[in-house]
Amino acid sequence: MVHFMEIKRIVKTVIMLSFVVFFVVMMIRAIIGSYTLTPTSTAENLRGLPLWKIPLVYMWDYAQHGWTCLGFAFTVAGLFSEFIPQSFMMRYMSSEKPISYLVATLIGPVFCVCSCTMVPIFAGVIYAGGGIGPALTFLLVAPANNLLADIVTIQVLGWRIALADIIAAGISAVVIGYAVSKTPWGKRFEAQFKKNQRSAASVELVKQPVDERLWNALKFGGYLAKKIVPAFILGLVVVSYFQAFFPENIVKTYLTGSLGVVFAALLSGPLYTPTLIEVVLGKALVDLGMSPGATIAWLMGQPYDIPNAISTSRIVGWKIVITYGILAFAFSVISGLTYGILVGM
Amino acid sequence: MDLSKRLKVEVIGPEPPCSRCRSVKENAEKASARIRANGIDVTVEKVNILSEDVIGRYGILLSPALAVNGVVRIMGRVPSDKEIERILAQTS
Repeated sequence: MVHFMEIKRIVKTVIMLSFVVFFVVMMIRAIIGSYTLTPTSTAENLRGLPLWKIPLVYMWDYAQHGWTCLGFAFTVAGLFSEFIPQSFMMRYMSSEKPISYLVATLIGPVFCVCSCTMVPIFAGVIYAGGGIGPALTFLLVAPANNLLADIVTIQVLGWRIALADIIAAGISAVVIGYAVSKTPWGKRFEAQFKKNQRSAASVELVKQPVDERLWNALKFGGYLAKKIVPAFILGLVVVSYFQAFFPENIVKTYLTGSLGVVFAALLSGPLYTPTLIEVVLGKALVDLGMSPGATIAWLMGQPYDIPNAISTSRIVGWKIVITYGILAFAFSVISGLTYGILVGM
Repeated sequence: MDLSKRLKVEVIGPEPPCSRCRSVKENAEKASARIRANGIDVTVEKVNILSEDVIGRYGILLSPALAVNGVVRIMGRVPSDKEIERILAQTS
């Protein structure tokens, strides 16, 4: 009987591992073969079609190329959230030392695929007396650099823009977090929670065998897919019409040059787009003529959309939200301009 | 098994509960119903991950989390009712 159970475990592990390996291999193949995983339809292709057909053609275009990338992204997100030593990282993030900023920047991308974990971590760090600096860094870096968005950005917009976005978002999150923690209202807010420095917490996590952990990872990946894909599809419908009918000359006039960077940052900030859609919409804008610098500003302007700001303000108050909103805007403009200067407007 | 022992299960998550926290709560209810059949007193309670009390006792957690008699046993995932039952059986 024991034997049978063990064989079952091994078989299960092998099946799950091959699933993971399949997506990794497909992804590597796509990168080496430099297949494009993004849609190839242009405004001209789409405009000639009947209205009802536009989203279908556009989605089919994504489905043909994009499924590898999405499958890979969801699998990896699941694996990371399961196999990263969480309690260890949490402890560092709530310490008062500078390392907490680094940890916040590094773990943001890993956890933050789901806002229902993000806000509790943010508030948890604050309430536990960890300081508003690292908490804000985490809050800003998490949606900007989340693993899913990064993988999709690399595929859709190219690794240069993706890398620039990741670095710029990381740096600005740290600077903004630090700056806000030094403002008088930031300090006052922090002081309320200093008393909360806690003693050792009673956490004794259950250990699980590898096959069960793998299963958890895949289940979580599936959960994310279930949550994100419907919104993603709806977003694609909207973006397909946008790509087909949005006048190119408006994009070429307002989303290029230094002014374009400012407009892109202004536009993307308050606009709430579900995870991944900002990348797809960004791609449509790039096809319509948005400059690289403006693209960076566009991608970086995500963390301060309105719903997010409202839920954060309940915890930290409006003053802090407005401070980091303005700083985040300034940083996306600066990063967009820097990138524009480096690669050409 | 010590039948006089009491078990206190806390499902820890944000308020209002997210969908994953709700599944943990359901699974915990199922597991404790079976444990209760053995004559053990089990209570299941949903607590707010952001309350001072919870953070004071457990620190920063990933939601959803599950604590039994004041010790966090699971965080950041949804355990099955069978797994919760195993944990309860071990604790009692």
